[in-house]
Amino acid sequence: MPAPPGSETRFPLMIDITGVTKSYGPKVAVRDLTLQVPAGELFAFLGPNGAGKTTTIKMLCGLLFPTTGTVRVGGFDLRTHGDQARALVSYVPDQPFLYEKLTGREFLQFTADLYAMPRDRAAAKIDEVIGLFHLDEFVDDLTERYSHGMRQRTVFAAALVHEPKLLIADEPTVGLDPKSIRELKTLLRKLADSGTTVFLSTHTLDIAQELADRIGIIDRGQLLGCGTLTDLRKRAAMDGNLEDLFLAITKEEAAEAAVVS
Amino acid sequence: MSSATLTPPPEQAATFRRLRTRLARNGLWVALEHSRTRVVTMLGTSAFVFGFTFAVGLYLFNLLAKANIPFKGAIVEGLFDLMFFTLGTMLVFSTGLILYASLFTSPEARYLLCSPARADRIFATKFQAAVAFSSWGFVVLGIPVFLAYGYVTGVPWFFFALLPPYLLGYVLLPGSVSAILCLLLVRYVPRNRKQFFAVLGVVAVAVAGVWVYKVGIGLKKSAATGGRELDDLIGQFDLFRSGLAPSHWMTRGVMAAARNDLTGALVPLAQVWSNGLLLYVVAAWTAKRVYRTAYDRTAGGGRGKKVYGASWLDRVMGGLVFYLSPQTRTLVLKDFRTFRRDPTQWAVLIIFGLLMMIGATNMRQTYTAGLATMDRYAVSLMNLSGTAVLLCAGLSRFVFPLISLEGRKFWILGLTPVSRDQLLWGKFVFAATGALVVGEVLVLLSDAVIGLPAEGVALHAAVMAVVAVGLSGLNVGLGAYLPNFRETDPSKIVVGFGGTVNMVAGLGFIVLVIGAMAVPLHTAQLARAAAGGEKAISPWVYAGVPVGLLAGAAAVILPLRAGARSLRAMEF
Repeated sequence: MPAPPGSETRFPLMIDITGVTKSYGPKVAVRDLTLQVPAGELFAFLGPNGAGKTTTIKMLCGLLFPTTGTVRVGGFDLRTHGDQARALVSYVPDQPFLYEKLTGREFLQFTADLYAMPRDRAAAKIDEVIGLFHLDEFVDDLTERYSHGMRQRTVFAAALVHEPKLLIADEPTVGLDPKSIRELKTLLRKLADSGTTVFLSTHTLDIAQELADRIGIIDRGQLLGCGTLTDLRKRAAMDGNLEDLFLAITKEEAAEAAVVS
Repeated sequence: MSSATLTPPPEQAATFRRLRTRLARNGLWVALEHSRTRVVTMLGTSAFVFGFTFAVGLYLFNLLAKANIPFKGAIVEGLFDLMFFTLGTMLVFSTGLILYASLFTSPEARYLLCSPARADRIFATKFQAAVAFSSWGFVVLGIPVFLAYGYVTGVPWFFFALLPPYLLGYVLLPGSVSAILCLLLVRYVPRNRKQFFAVLGVVAVAVAGVWVYKVGIGLKKSAATGGRELDDLIGQFDLFRSGLAPSHWMTRGVMAAARNDLTGALVPLAQVWSNGLLLYVVAAWTAKRVYRTAYDRTAGGGRGKKVYGASWLDRVMGGLVFYLSPQTRTLVLKDFRTFRRDPTQWAVLIIFGLLMMIGATNMRQTYTAGLATMDRYAVSLMNLSGTAVLLCAGLSRFVFPLISLEGRKFWILGLTPVSRDQLLWGKFVFAATGALVVGEVLVLLSDAVIGLPAEGVALHAAVMAVVAVGLSGLNVGLGAYLPNFRETDPSKIVVGFGGTVNMVAGLGFIVLVIGAMAVPLHTAQLARAAAGGEKAISPWVYAGVPVGLLAGAAAVILPLRAGARSLRAMEF
């Protein structure tokens, strides 16, 4: 299999967003965004409502295309090599989709088939994720009977069943009980440590602060800051926790925007 | 990144086939396990519709036999041409609407587009579901019509054997055409959609208007003279009868089978299937090329910020339902706002309304010396029936799904201090008010244009009031009694089981009301005109009015009562 176009970078980049602008008609949702995330990093993407996080995620999944600029995943340009790029990605949206008339196990099998996993490997992996997310009690029920938490756990299991290189999760902890949240945090960290890139969009700043290797803050479609917690403290010229930094950086930007307008 | 490894392209067709099989199997199991009554009702109603269509077919073909019209000749062929063309055109619209919703707005499409599923494979899955949804009625209604034809006329065995492949093959053609149109429109339609569709609508109305005008002239001439003018009238339908029209291939094949010509029947069948499959391949290829970018365009289309506020139309609606309690009035206004802010909902009504007015005006202009009383009554009955069918289609499309669409948001209404009965009552008043205004305006205007005498106008106004109120009761009541909370696409709700029952009930109700209230007067007027205008009109022509009124009351009370009972028992 030939190396993907544009893969001659020194460090293995899983996400490579270069000069991306995305417009919805007259509204610019993402403005000249450039962001690189190496393989095996847990990256937290923060921003107020309507900042451009979900649009960025949708471009990473290949659901939307940038108006200008390029988005690459695993070296594959989403516009020209979308099928190959999407084979590396798993996306867990904030409102997960499940086929109502499939059981959890059938949904996991469908996902494994969609990603062309060999039968034996798929069977082993399905058993593994069922155990990992404690789905045993309900995995053979139709998903139409699941609670939000059960749905969320099933979708996570499906996202991991095909061993993705990049896991994108949008507000993954919504609807989960404290024990499940704890387990999910441990799992995400473990995944990143084992080489899977995790791209996490969340409003729960504690999780970002606790888990993320790097944090990106976006507002009004522009990346305001990106780096470790220490980098962000330097950027905001203040000490404090992530909540203080986030509020300071976004407030500063809002003030600048007001002056410009 | 050079370490990314690629899996070989998966055999996705088999994956999606397994998915569909599992979904169908589980759905059937759930239905048999938990909603046995529903399944039995569904099968029973389908059998009833099948039997009813067969009986009507038998009756009509026997009428032809009595009139000594050759069953395998040009007139029946023309009727079949018209039927296939009309159904084909309807399938283009219905499949297109369902496909648009499944490809561009459904959560499943969003999910699949984020996976490595190929665009053409997603399209194929959605296409099959859309064609099945939009066409099952065509197949279920088409088979009894042709069974009746075969039974009355006496046809060889292979006529019956070829019916399913003919009907199934035919749905591929309009389905594929609508798929190609849907994909290309979404991908390439100019950004300024409102203007684009307005121009498109005006052109469509103008073309249809010219055609209606020509048919009107043809009708007038052929009624007056016959002979060559009849050919002129038939000439207006040349489009459906040309060798290039798939509807004509169908007719040719079916008629050849009826004439015991097996080869003549198989060639058009091959033509239907080969063209259908070719068009399907073109549609799949188009999807492969443009589906993802079209989705991006829909999702990223956007528009300038628009401030929505109160409108004078809301005040008019509020004024029309002044007699309701403030809470119910609020519910009515909520439904009305939703309706007026969705152009797809009212654009179809406007186009149909315009077509009807163009038709009525043309009739007036065609008969320069003024319409004879006989013609006036014939044309006005056609207008009345057309308006009633238009209302039936409009209410089925927009009012029947109202309760179903509350779906998972039903808890919002469930928690408000508004009783379930009030909720239903609000929807009924909303539907009845709108239907009354639209129906009465259309009927009274078209009657005025053709100069119908006052007694006819008054009767039509009464008939339209019964039809509008009765259909509203049926649609709201059955919508609550047979809701489909799982479906978010209104067009799928309409073509589902509940929607079909509602549509059939609505059409039956129209036939009953118009038949009882209006047809006797029209028949008497026609007879009177035929007798030189000397025969007096008996007051018995109004004897059917109470029957119509009773039918109207039953259409309101019975479904609303059943719907209210079902709604009260609903958990959320």
